Amino acid sequence: MRTDRVPKENGKQETGNHRLNPPCTRRQTLIWGGASIVGLSALGTAFAQGTDRPLIIMEKAQGMVIADPVLCVGCGRCELACTEFNDGKASPTLARIKIDRNLNHGPQGITTWRAGHGNLGDGLIVQDLCKQCPHPVPCANICPENAIILSTVNNARIVDPEKCTGCKICLQACPWEMISYDPDSRKATKCHLCEGKPKCVEACPAGSLSYVSWYDLTGRTTPRNLNTAMLPPQRSLSCQECHLPGQEQNVREIGAMIRGAFGGGRPVATGGIGFKWIDMAGAILVPLAIGSVLVHAVLRKVVKR
Amino acid sequence: MMRIYLHPLPLRIWHWLNAFIVIMLIVTGLYLRLHGIAALKPHDPVLLWHKGMGLAMIIATLFWFIYNISSGNLRRHYGIKSRDIHGIFVQARFYLYSIFGGGENPFQASAADKYNPLQKIAYDAVMLIFLPVQALTGLLFMDIPPLRDYLLSVNLFGLLGAMHLIFAYLLVLYLIVHLYMATLGETVFSHTKAMIVGYEEQGHGIKGEETNPI
Repeated sequence: MRTDRVPKENGKQETGNHRLNPPCTRRQTLIWGGASIVGLSALGTAFAQGTDRPLIIMEKAQGMVIADPVLCVGCGRCELACTEFNDGKASPTLARIKIDRNLNHGPQGITTWRAGHGNLGDGLIVQDLCKQCPHPVPCANICPENAIILSTVNNARIVDPEKCTGCKICLQACPWEMISYDPDSRKATKCHLCEGKPKCVEACPAGSLSYVSWYDLTGRTTPRNLNTAMLPPQRSLSCQECHLPGQEQNVREIGAMIRGAFGGGRPVATGGIGFKWIDMAGAILVPLAIGSVLVHAVLRKVVKR
Repeated sequence: MMRIYLHPLPLRIWHWLNAFIVIMLIVTGLYLRLHGIAALKPHDPVLLWHKGMGLAMIIATLFWFIYNISSGNLRRHYGIKSRDIHGIFVQARFYLYSIFGGGENPFQASAADKYNPLQKIAYDAVMLIFLPVQALTGLLFMDIPPLRDYLLSVNLFGLLGAMHLIFAYLLVLYLIVHLYMATLGETVFSHTKAMIVGYEEQGHGIKGEETNPI
């Protein structure tokens, strides 16, 4: 690399004094110093993560329980079956499937002037089920004890009772409020798909519930709780492995942040009708093109006369 | 007045076929976009038409490439030569300024040199960039078993959709300008007539009128 020009009369001194006065300018010192700081810290992060790295769930679940609200009669036997099998008691509030929650106004409650589901709305009985979320699993990401892990049978996201301390933070993190807290055992609990044989599906007399292979429902169901941006610091360090600054996901997250700052809602799931900004640009550019072409035509007629 | 044979029959057929396909693609694509692709069933007739027309477009474009490469047209008419660099500014100045005062088009089409520098750039962009990108992204959307799973796993469909959409809007913008420039001949429909019969009539026109559509 070429450094700053040295005047000729000083050339000899410079070369003679090479070790004391190395050909490294202030700029190079700064660049290399900065680069080594960045490099060493990156190395340090890598080693730190190698020892005790928080679990980040990347695998998709293999199964999920879905409900057909048309067939459901609201008997609640699934809730009983769930708690009898898993907890040995009848406690519908603890059930991992929640039928007719918020009876009168539907799962969202009264959020708008419109009537929603529930008895005071369209009368629909709403079934809430764990969606076994894909990668940024909100409950697993928030858990400070890494207590939400994968089931070995079907990749269901399950609570490890050994690690769970009952801090209830996952109850707040789940966008659909699907995690229950057992006051007797002082642990959180969530749908674990009963080792691939869900008891709620077996108990349903109306054939409303079915156990199907997993598909992504998270973008299609309105969340009850938008408080999903929480992340403990040790886990956010782990997230940096994939979400390096400047990557496309970060751009999307920043976009969501800006949208949130202006009071916008949750970003639309990718693959659907996302990328509205392209439509907006097109809606400006296409009329602009037609307009300028028309102006050109009119000018041609007018100026010639 | 002279008549110059500009457009050979295969290219004329290709042009009008392509025009039909593009209009169908824009109409069906607009429908798909307005409804949102996620809300549609996989066998929605409009979706099938869009796919079929996309495949037809790929075949037509392949024909265009084979015909133009084998006949040497690609280099002769579409290659940007060193003298075109200056011609860009001359041509742009004509369209933006001197066309209003009745100036003469600095470029005259001939059988050896059909397109002016701006046309070359526009056609090169459309044929060598826009259409291949649209074809590639469109093909990747189809249910090609191993590819589709891979693309789903790396979550690339959003990016592909965005690219397909951006280039679709670019093609629409190009089409608007193309349609307008096609009316700048000796008479309003003389370029359109040339694209139908193959012969372009030149030489008796009013000064300041255009000879070629971009």
